[in-house]
Amino acid sequence: MMGAMLPALRVTDLHKYYPDGVHALRGLALEVPAGSFFGLLGPNGAGKTTLIGVIVGLVRAAAGHVFVFGHDAVADAAAARMLVGLAPQEVHLDRFLTTREVLTYHARYFGLGRAEADERADELLDAFDLGGKARTRPDRLSGGMRRRLLIARALAHRPRLLILDEPTAGVDLELRHELWRFLRRLHQEQETTVLLTTHYLEEAEELCERVAFIRDGLIVAEGETRELVRSADGRRRLEDAYLEAMH
Amino acid sequence: MSAPPSDLRRAQWRGTLALAGRETRRVLIVWTQTILPPVLNAFLFLLVFGGALGGRIRQIEGLPYLTFILPGLVVMTVANQSFGNNATSIFQAKREGYIEDVLTSPLRPWQLAAGYLSGGLLRATLTAGIVVLVGSAFAGGVANPLLAVLALTLTGLVFASLGIVAGIWAETFDQFSLVANLIIAPLALVGGVFYAVGNLPQPWATITRLDPIYYLVDAARAGFTGFHESSVMASLMVATVVAAGLFALAVMLLDRGWRLKP
Repeated sequence: MMGAMLPALRVTDLHKYYPDGVHALRGLALEVPAGSFFGLLGPNGAGKTTLIGVIVGLVRAAAGHVFVFGHDAVADAAAARMLVGLAPQEVHLDRFLTTREVLTYHARYFGLGRAEADERADELLDAFDLGGKARTRPDRLSGGMRRRLLIARALAHRPRLLILDEPTAGVDLELRHELWRFLRRLHQEQETTVLLTTHYLEEAEELCERVAFIRDGLIVAEGETRELVRSADGRRRLEDAYLEAMH
Repeated sequence: MSAPPSDLRRAQWRGTLALAGRETRRVLIVWTQTILPPVLNAFLFLLVFGGALGGRIRQIEGLPYLTFILPGLVVMTVANQSFGNNATSIFQAKREGYIEDVLTSPLRPWQLAAGYLSGGLLRATLTAGIVVLVGSAFAGGVANPLLAVLALTLTGLVFASLGIVAGIWAETFDQFSLVANLIIAPLALVGGVFYAVGNLPQPWATITRLDPIYYLVDAARAGFTGFHESSVMASLMVATVVAAGLFALAVMLLDRGWRLKP
């Protein structure tokens, strides 16, 4: 089937200049295979969040193309966005809605019917252990709960490509491992492609089949995680490959 | 596999309705801020101008003063509430970042604008509806309900669209209140709500005729009482063009992501 062969994400020659003169993306090119768990690693200011912004339509690129499962993210934006779920780095949740409504409204923005959205919300509340907080407003949730809600919201419309922008930043160790378990299960059972950005290299090593290193708006290295850490003594870590790529 | 175009269209319609539902919910949740104050405000105007001063002014153009000012008060209520609702809703969503939830959705810019528009129109309908119901008990019935509804709907569309534009434009509370307090409020006060232009000396009559709100008030007054000073048809046509223009501007700003997307 033609659709199955398309990459989840294909980015070509992407440029982004901000009004303050920062050239955030400098001809970036990237391909994320469908069904993969893909890590995008780089220091602060490398262009990770800008790239994600362009993919989901929150940032306007100056030049280049982004295709989501073959759909141009600009020319065919609506079709592309239907396939993407984003859990952004910053926690921004609608304060007029309850936890459950955050999920139902999001699902409905993406076209789920009311009953289906309710059902999906309950399913996600259970999966993310938020069932007891269904009627609570997001600003009354703990930091970890808000982070979980953000990921649940990204999944509400059953996207084929899930983008997680530093999902475990500021999350305690226990919850981080819990999220890892959930993401692994999601990836395996539902064949969702996951694009993960993180500062925690052990997180990328633990979860990602492939990783790309980004620096100054360009991909400087990319490959399968196990290849990048392969060495004669078996003691090489992703951190070593990262440091090599960054210098 | 991606959704076929018909599924995508259905998803977008559902999404638009959901956004309209969210805006409706916001209006109803904070009803002490969205419904109660404007209704009280309009009643105070009716009490002060219609009750206390009305006894001295008696009649304008053969109409009891309360009957004369009610349509203008309703237009003011619709204008302020539809504008304020949309400008606040978008400004809050933008400032707190959760506007990303709808900006990353498959909704087209005009569908986003339509979703936001509905909140302002609902708030205007609820507040104006209460003012009309209570005010009519003292000011008399509505002469031409269809015309009154048409004039008020156009008023709502003009100011709800303007509210979207202002919400996108405003980056601070000061900018946001600038439009409400320094543009809409003065225009409403000199828009012929409390007087007939025919009774005014120059240059006030000309100033009032230059105020776009005057034509909305006059058209609404024609609907409520049958009395009007300018061409109702011309007023409605101009209001239609202005509403369409402002809605198109809102859609264009959402499409370009002006002040929404870097």
